Amino acid sequence: MRAILNAVKTGLTEIWAHKTRSVLSFLAIAAGSVVFIDAFSAIVDTYARLERQKEVSGIARMRISQNYSQTYSSPDDYVPPPAISYEDVEKLKEKVPGLYMVSPEGRDWRNVLEYGGERLTTSLTGVTPDWTKRDFIYTLKGRFLDWHDLENKLRVCVLIKEAPPPPGFDKTMKKKYNFTGGYDTLVTHNDMVGKTVKIDGYTFTVIGVLEEIPYSKRTRSFVNSYQDYKILAPVTTLIHYSFIGSYQSLDVNIDAGAEKDFEDYMKKVSNFLKIRFGDEEFFVVENQLEDIREKIASSVRSGLVTISLGMLAFLAGGIGIMNVTLATVFARTKEIGVRRAVGASRSDIMLQFIVEAVMLGLIGGVLGSALGYLWGVPIKVMVGMDASPIKAWMPMVSVLIAASTAFVFAIYPAWVAAGLKPADALRAE
Amino acid sequence: MSIACADLTKVYEGGQSGWPALRGVSFTIEMGEFAVVTGPSGCGKSTLLNIIGLLDEPTSGKYSLNGRNVFSMSDSERSDARRDEIGFVFQSFHLLNRMTALDNVCLPMMYAGVDSREMRDRAADLLHKVGLKGKERKTPLELSGGERQRVSIARALANSPKLILADEPTGNLDSVSSGEIVDTLFKLNGEGITVVMVTHDRELSKRVARNIRMRDGRLEQ
Ligand SMILES: Nc1ncnc2c1ncn2[C@@H]1O[C@H](COP(=O)(O)OP(=O)(O)OP(=O)(O)O)[C@@H](O)[C@H]1O
Ligand SMILES: [Mg+2]
Repeated sequence: MRAILNAVKTGLTEIWAHKTRSVLSFLAIAAGSVVFIDAFSAIVDTYARLERQKEVSGIARMRISQNYSQTYSSPDDYVPPPAISYEDVEKLKEKVPGLYMVSPEGRDWRNVLEYGGERLTTSLTGVTPDWTKRDFIYTLKGRFLDWHDLENKLRVCVLIKEAPPPPGFDKTMKKKYNFTGGYDTLVTHNDMVGKTVKIDGYTFTVIGVLEEIPYSKRTRSFVNSYQDYKILAPVTTLIHYSFIGSYQSLDVNIDAGAEKDFEDYMKKVSNFLKIRFGDEEFFVVENQLEDIREKIASSVRSGLVTISLGMLAFLAGGIGIMNVTLATVFARTKEIGVRRAVGASRSDIMLQFIVEAVMLGLIGGVLGSALGYLWGVPIKVMVGMDASPIKAWMPMVSVLIAASTAFVFAIYPAWVAAGLKPADALRAE
Repeated sequence: MSIACADLTKVYEGGQSGWPALRGVSFTIEMGEFAVVTGPSGCGKSTLLNIIGLLDEPTSGKYSLNGRNVFSMSDSERSDARRDEIGFVFQSFHLLNRMTALDNVCLPMMYAGVDSREMRDRAADLLHKVGLKGKERKTPLELSGGERQRVSIARALANSPKLILADEPTGNLDSVSSGEIVDTLFKLNGEGITVVMVTHDRELSKRVARNIRMRDGRLEQ
């Protein structure tokens, strides 16, 4: 123990006496640590997002929408394709029971909202209570639509208050396309619950306001079906008052519930569509689970690539430390002789050089971890990248790897130093 | 402290082949003796001293230090013997220039695991004893040749050795400093420490009872 302490003391003075050399030799190690931390956090983030996906957005997701890529050999062949109506959705629920969520969605664009003497542009989306089952990133004031509203085609609506855009979001783009700025101001500055508004001339009662949770409080999931919701109303109401035309097909978001039943449900849903609308591919059933799996795989893959880069950096750092330690051994041969003459044993000498190298590795590892943290959190946020979480164990593992790399690469030079005969070492200049 | 050598030979690897530095050297030095080794340059004095001090190994022959056969000692036993029983004084001092005089004197005690307070106190005492009070914080580069050699004597005494091996300790010094160093060594011998000293000083060999004269790797007489 005391021997190690002495070696540490000598090592510190040596490292300090050769600052430039020391800094150069642990730079590569530091770089390795930075890369490692980045890779660790990316991989951990992937799994965190997967958890989040499972919890909030669901993983066994599919989406039915019209197939826009149908081709017709001549314009005369064109017949309007069938559309999914609310009755089709009801039928689907009946024929394919057990689905966790079947959420139809129909949209109207550029509606005029009148309130308190103001006329504002907005958009309406027709949904059912199932809409809240997934991607519910809101806090609710008042109440949401219920089945009673649906059945009675009531003119009630829920307003959505958007969260400020995430850091790094291109604000100029937002301004350019933001034709509902007035609407956003309205919901921000007024307590709308219980108020009556006019949409395209029809009166609607606002029964609730959904406030989006800020981006900083959300973990990103894999499939962010980013839809710009403004006003939600019962889909049946919107159909009844012709906000949604009879030719207009509803999109249907489905969650099968569990991953293991997913393929089975995929088949059942496709079958249902075939039976109801015929063999032609009027609709696509988007397999979102496949997307999620692909995204996880690719993000793990890129994490592994980064890790191997980190390994290379550590290897380079290790070789650097070996080189420096060897140079030190030759530069300090005389000193080795002196130490041997006054009683240092072979293992004392070996220990001294190994401890010195490991300290270089430790310094490099600590420095690299600090840089890795800086890079991983504030810098990434500053340049508008997604910051991935850095856990306490990540720098610890990096420092450990840095120190062990230095240890391994110091063994040979230290062994050379310890093998010198005292008389020969003393004769060196 | 007794040194018993029998038929020591030393052939340097990479040296002139078939021209041994030592060619059968036998002698004994008893405890408390002051022995002076003389001889022309290149006759093997340093080689012999290195072997006696366990810094180098003979090619053949027998050597026992205090009754222990040196050949059967492990590296760490030899290191311990160098640390605890032998003190070296070299012609070119062999001090560590990056350390203070005090730290240089501490070095042997550090390897002996002496408590750090005790180590510093003793080192300061030793520097005082060799007349370097007030120069503890100076590095060797800030000291004169004579002062450096006194630091190395203090270092040699750190672990209270029974044997001091001095290889031309005055070789790099003026006559005044040389006289002081030699006096110090005589004083230490007076305190019971065995001293073996290599020198070119003919006068000195007259002052001691034990003379070892060498020529071409052998003893004269
Ligand atoms: N490391 C070595 N490798 C090869 N030959 C050596 C080595 N050290 C000494 N010699 C040779 O061994 C012989 C004895 O050398 P040594 O240093 O013992 O002489 P010395 O009596 O101490 O001389 P000086 O009075 O000049 O110091 C010389 O011929 C020298 O060239
Ligand atoms: Mg010599």
